Amino acid sequence: MTAETPNVSSDEMPTHRHPGIAESDLSRPWIADRLSRFRVSTRTVRSWHALTAVGAAVLVIGLFLAPARTWASVLLASQFLIGLGLGGLFLVAMHYLTGAGWSVVIRRIPEAMAALLPVGLAAVAAVVIFYPSLYAWTTGEHDTLSGFKGLWLNYRYLLLRSAAYAAIWLLFARALIRNSRAQDTDGALNPRHRNVALSAGFTVCFALSYWLASVDWVMALEHHWYSTIFGVYAFTGLFSSSLACTILVAQWLRGMHAMGGIIRDDHLHDLAKLLMGATTLWMYIWFSQYMLIWYANIPEETIYYVHRQSGTWGPLFLMNPILNWIIPFFTLLPRFCKRDGIILARIAMLVLVGRWLDLYLMIYPSAFPDAPAFGLWEVGIALGTAGVIGGLILRALGRAALVPLKDLYLRESLHHHQ
Amino acid sequence: MSRRIFMSIHEREEDILGIARAAREAGLTIVDIYAPYAVHGLDQAAGFRPSRLPIICFILGLLGAGLKVWFEFWTTAIDWPIDVGGKPWNSWPAFVPVTFEVMVLFAGVGTVIALFITTKLWPGKRAKIVFDGVTDDRFALLIVEQDATFEPGKVRMLCERFNAVYVEEREEETA
Repeated sequence: MTAETPNVSSDEMPTHRHPGIAESDLSRPWIADRLSRFRVSTRTVRSWHALTAVGAAVLVIGLFLAPARTWASVLLASQFLIGLGLGGLFLVAMHYLTGAGWSVVIRRIPEAMAALLPVGLAAVAAVVIFYPSLYAWTTGEHDTLSGFKGLWLNYRYLLLRSAAYAAIWLLFARALIRNSRAQDTDGALNPRHRNVALSAGFTVCFALSYWLASVDWVMALEHHWYSTIFGVYAFTGLFSSSLACTILVAQWLRGMHAMGGIIRDDHLHDLAKLLMGATTLWMYIWFSQYMLIWYANIPEETIYYVHRQSGTWGPLFLMNPILNWIIPFFTLLPRFCKRDGIILARIAMLVLVGRWLDLYLMIYPSAFPDAPAFGLWEVGIALGTAGVIGGLILRALGRAALVPLKDLYLRESLHHHQ
Repeated sequence: MSRRIFMSIHEREEDILGIARAAREAGLTIVDIYAPYAVHGLDQAAGFRPSRLPIICFILGLLGAGLKVWFEFWTTAIDWPIDVGGKPWNSWPAFVPVTFEVMVLFAGVGTVIALFITTKLWPGKRAKIVFDGVTDDRFALLIVEQDATFEPGKVRMLCERFNAVYVEEREEETA
């Protein structure tokens, strides 16, 4: 370079300024006010409540007319709800731990999903307390259980463990959300610092407790069967379904113009990339479990897949990877599909249906190995679950500002670019 | 053959974003932009065409997976069948892990090679640095001077509007 290079001394440099930050919309009081007073129309709330009522009615009738199927459905619903609730907390914890800036504007959605946790826990408590015979090992066939399994699968000990899981999750959920909301009023940094520490603790406790809980509540349905990867498998379903739910709510809020364009295509794009990653992880773990059992070919392990691949279960078994991975993955490959709210919402819906099917295939064949039981009871309770999800998430969203108004990284998130 | 290049140096991210957008809107042809780090939104501001590398990556991945499935089928079921645990010779679940790995290998390594080819980054290629500062703390915008529409005075004014710290016109040899 022959030409003279400009030489500007540091004290002459103008102060560094990011584009548009000073003009941030949130500095205008009326926007913050609007975000704090998010209310859904009573018609929307009523339609979710109507779905819940339908589910409740089917549940009550089903308990008398078809108890086995109804209770299996309640267990399915409980795992679906717990998955979304814990998944929401897991997303929040991950974003705190990694110091993610982009996700601050969508953080209230996974926080709201944690409101599903108590309902899911109540449902699984009802199954364990009122219908333990869903778990064949409780009916006194103990003699065939080997040493450690015999000790572990003890009814009182199961109640104790279930209570411990519930206590751990609810305490973490309460603390994380309370700190996040507390920051909205005073803007202090302490709540964020406390939440980073809490998130670290939650992640470790969650990994261990969810693994054990999925073994206790789902894998133990077939107590002779054994899969060491089952906890990871259950987690991957939780991860992809909670991302799908976050995307659906985010897109719904965009459609409602509730947030004045704060959630942009760039935020959806990142959520879509996470969803692709999560569904691929699900497929990877699904196949890891399948292949090891197929390869080793030990009868007490293969029986799990023999039931699920024979008869009418077969097509459902094939549908599972199609819904949960093949369609989402290949649809979301092109960039424009990840940025299109409508396409993304449809895929998210598909992943949630896939999650239901995945849980159905984990739970139902243990009680109905010959042919799938599907009808009024399953549909009714699934609709009721959808009603509970919609109603509770909307209510939780109204409890705090739609965006963490005084978060340290809010501005970074508002100006997030892909 | 040679072409005339107009180079404008800036010190701030928002200036380079602003001038890239303004130059595109004024109908100027941006040859390239150099920055010391990846500036988000710069390619949209400059109107650069999205990279086609993802398509190459996808095709290479399919090619790798396809070739591997064919190779495994040929080795285990046709050329040298071995009985493993009484399973059929063409047992697809056993093919999946290796197929996955070879797909990733083809897609990953192939995309890097494709990037080197499209950017002409051969081994032994000498670095061509338009302006020393772009490796440190300066942003450089290069505009090609087209015969009819190009007015150096107006372009200079545009550069000054976005706080250019240094502007230069130079002749560049093109192949």
